[in-house]
Formats: sequence, structure tokens, C-alpha cells
Amino acid sequence: MSSVEGDGTLDLFSQPRDDEDPGLQAGSSETTPDESTIRIWSVSELNRTLRSSLEEAFPQVTVSGEVGNWTRARSGHCYFSLKDDQSQLRCVMWRRDAARLPMDPEVGMTIRAVGRITLYEARGELQLQVQEVEAEGKEGLWRLAFERLKGQLEEAGLLDPTRKRPIPRFPETVGVVTSPTGAALRDILTVIGRRAPWTRVLIRGAPVQGEGAAQKLAHALQTLASSGKVEVIIIGRGGGSLEDLWAFNEEPVARAIAASPIPVISAVGHETDVTISDLVADLRAPTPSAGAEAAVEDGMALKEALSRVRPRLARGLRFQLRHRETRVTESRRRLEAGIRGLLYPRRQVLEGRSTRLRPALQALLTPRRARLVNHRERLVPAMGALARPARMKTDRAGERLEQAIAGLLSRKRERLATAGGRVEALSPLATLRRGYAVALNEEGRVLRSTSSFRPGESFRLRVADGRIRCEVQSVDPDDSILSMDRGTGR
Amino acid sequence: MTPKDGPTEDGQDELSLEARLRRLDEIVSALEGGDVELERGLALFEEGVRHIREAESLLSEAELRVEELVGEADSLEVQDFEGAGQ
Repeated sequence: MSSVEGDGTLDLFSQPRDDEDPGLQAGSSETTPDESTIRIWSVSELNRTLRSSLEEAFPQVTVSGEVGNWTRARSGHCYFSLKDDQSQLRCVMWRRDAARLPMDPEVGMTIRAVGRITLYEARGELQLQVQEVEAEGKEGLWRLAFERLKGQLEEAGLLDPTRKRPIPRFPETVGVVTSPTGAALRDILTVIGRRAPWTRVLIRGAPVQGEGAAQKLAHALQTLASSGKVEVIIIGRGGGSLEDLWAFNEEPVARAIAASPIPVISAVGHETDVTISDLVADLRAPTPSAGAEAAVEDGMALKEALSRVRPRLARGLRFQLRHRETRVTESRRRLEAGIRGLLYPRRQVLEGRSTRLRPALQALLTPRRARLVNHRERLVPAMGALARPARMKTDRAGERLEQAIAGLLSRKRERLATAGGRVEALSPLATLRRGYAVALNEEGRVLRSTSSFRPGESFRLRVADGRIRCEVQSVDPDDSILSMDRGTGR
Repeated sequence: MTPKDGPTEDGQDELSLEARLRRLDEIVSALEGGDVELERGLALFEEGVRHIREAESLLSEAELRVEELVGEADSLEVQDFEGAGQ
């Protein structure tokens, strides 16, 4: 370093050169005698030679250290340093290798870098060309990247179990996103062909590993999902190393699954492999075959189920017929009961009314009629000579009044008779016709009990075809409880 | 419980297997448990039998159709998939 600086100084400033001449001279003079035996390297030559011997001596080393700065250039190559408390080592990871990294290691992270030692000739710099990086034990970096993306997706709510949509049971078309040449596709087609050969399978091929696989898978999924041609999509691949499966742990695939308008089944690797896409998908299938099984129903089971439906239909129809029959019978019974229930109280009311109506009418009319007769009898001798015309008028009026009353009475009677006819045998008239009589007092009230009678008092007896004026001679109450009850009841 | 009126006679042949089976379920449960007008019961029964027949004929289809979606969003095309035999 210092000699290079010295050379630079000499080049720029010629004056101090003389001052330092002796030293340089001495140096030159020291080497001058051996000039023929000592090899003079050009810088390039030396660097090239150093490089080969370094590469030969350290074809593969695993270096553990703390990550200093880490830079991923636009070219995709990564430049960083590894250090411990005393030294540091320049490292480079070419794009081809760096592309396989699940994430860039963080500064300060302890990693193990596997690579070879080489010399960057152009600068004469020693560097470790890193092919693989491991952090925090085996697969540490992958685990870390996995957990980090998982955390992000969780925060975005994309792992919420409530987001999971049901898989349609009988899709007409199943979409498949996988490698068109992979074993996974073969397995999927075999299973669907066996279980549900009526199904249509629509494939959108995409590389499932290697550089850019995640983006291509995501794009294929988007294209197929939004094509409107499939009802469910299986995205997956067969088993492989964690690195092989890595595309299914990357954000583009996870986001594409989450954004899919139709349900997605993730079927990646073997049973034990759980990927981010498994977590985001509507259903996680342990293998591609299992994914296909989840996507379609088993035709054999369906046929069996269908064969059981036919007798159920027939039984159902028979049940309906029986049910209706029972219902008709039941309805009839209820209708009859209902009519009876409706009629009884009304009949009783009617009965009660007709019993009360007749005496009431009688009570109303009798005194009036008597008064009328009385008036006429008194009027006739007084007015006879004086007012024959007036008398005649009165006569006519009387006749008309009588007619009116008679008419009224007969109309009432008719209505009563009609009402009576309606209630048939229960009419009191019919009862009277059977030989019974009703005792009434002067007001027309029914006399039901011996207590209503006083010896010497007059009352009337109503029989079927008229009334009889009577006088009580004596009253002999019965000792029967029944008659007592009746007597005191009113 | 009244029977749901699902798809009616029209366009029955165009029904997907899923819709057909769902309809069958409805019909069976309506006939088994519901109170259905006699006419309607008979119609449901006939419709059910038709669905069974259609579904069975669909299920007996033996050839899996495998196709590939190619092209980009504005020019998507469905082709027969050639690699299926691999």
C-alpha cells in the first residue's frame, strides 16, 4: 500500500523524487544483481497466478460470519462482506445463485456461506464466491423468509379462515396450474379421470421452479382464474427439496391465490410440506392426487347415491298421497265438529229468545187492547148521536188499529213460527203442542216455581192454541231437590 | 315447511350436475317431509325422475376431456392438451 502511494507521489511531484532517490536506488541496486534470476511479475500476471492457486487451494470453503453490508445490484448479483470481531472477507454471490435465495440476509445476521476463494484480478481483491447461504442452522433463511411472508399475509388478513371458500362439489371444469410435463399433472389427470370422467380439465402450464417461477405461476393462476372457464383451480407440483418448492412460498403466488375470484386448492409436494400457498388457498391438499380428489366427487359413490334417490322419490310421493287422505278425513271431522260447535250456542239463544218474545208481546198487547175496548165502550154512547161521522171515523181508526195490531201480531207470529220451525222440536210451541202448558203472570212473566203463586191470585195458562185465565186455589211445593233448585234458581 | 321453488321445467336439460343434484335434494325433502299439493307432488316426482336419468347419463360419460388455456388475456384460446398421454 505505502509503496503504491509512494509511486503515486513520485509520479505527481518530480521534485521530492531526488530526496527519496537513495532509498529507491538502494532498493533497485539490491535487486539489480539478481535481475536475471528473479522473476518480475506484471500485476496481471501475478493476480492471475494468485487467483489460480487460491482457487486450487480453496475450491470449497464454508465460512461462518456476520453479514456486513449486503447489496443486491440491478444485475441481480449480490455483494456483501462477512466479518468477525477481527477480520472481514469480501463476498460475491452471482445472480444465478442469488436468485435461489428466499430473501436477502439481514446485516448483522450470522450466516454460513459456502463457496470458493478467488481473486478479483482487476482490483487484486480477495473474495469468496458464494454459492449457498445458510442462516441460523439448516434452512434458517428459508424458514425466516417463510415466517416473514406468513406474518405479512396474516397481517393483511389473507390467512383468515373465514376467507376460505367452499370447493364446489361437482365442477364441470377443473382448472390446473402446474408444469405441463410434471408428474403432478399426470397424477391429477389420473385421479379425475378415474373419479369423475364427465369433468373437463383446463390446464394453464407454468414452470414450478427456477428463476421467475413464482411470477409465472402467479400469472398463470390469474389468467386461468379470471378466464371464467373454470369453477375451481388446483395449483401445485410434485415433491422436491425445500428450494424446489420455494416458488409456492413466494409472495406473488400467495397474492394471486388470495385474489382469485374462484376457489383454489393448493397441492404442493408431499404430505409434510406446508407452503405459503397452502395457507392462503381455500383448501390445502397434501399431494396433487389428493388435490384432484378434493376437486371432484367420486362418480361411483354418486351413482350409488342416485340409485338410492329413486325409491325415496317414490316413497315421498306415496307419503304425500297418504298425508292428503288423512288430511281430508281430518278436515271433515273438524268441519263437522266446528259446525256443531257453531250451532249449539245459537240454537240456545234462539230458543231463549222465542220463549221470552211471545209472553212479552202478549204483555205488551193485552192491556192496550183492553184499553181500546174500554175507550170505545165509553165513547160510543156519548158520541153516538153527536158524532156519527166521527164515530165512524173512530170505528175505522179502531178497525185500522186493530188490523194493524193484528197484522203486527201475525207478522211477529209468522216470524216466530219461522224461527220456531228452524229450531224444530226445540221450539216452545212444539213443546206446548206436546201437551205442556206455561203459567204466566199478568205481566207475562213465566211462573216457574210454587213460590210465584199465591192462593187467590189469578194467572194465565198458555197452551198450544191459546190462553186460559186461572186462579190459584192452593200451593203445594214439592220436596224434590230438583224442583227446589228450579224454584230458587230464578 | 313449504317446498322451495327452485328451477322449473324450463331449461332443465342445461342444468349443471351440481344444480341437478341440489334440485333433487329439494324435491326429495319436499316430498318426504313437506305438505305438497297433489298436482305439485306428481310434478315434483316426475321432475325428480328426469333429473336422476339425466344425471346418470352424464355420470356414465367415460372420456375425460383435457384442454389447455393458451394465449394472453385479450386472446385466450382453449386447445386440446397434447401432453396428456405423458
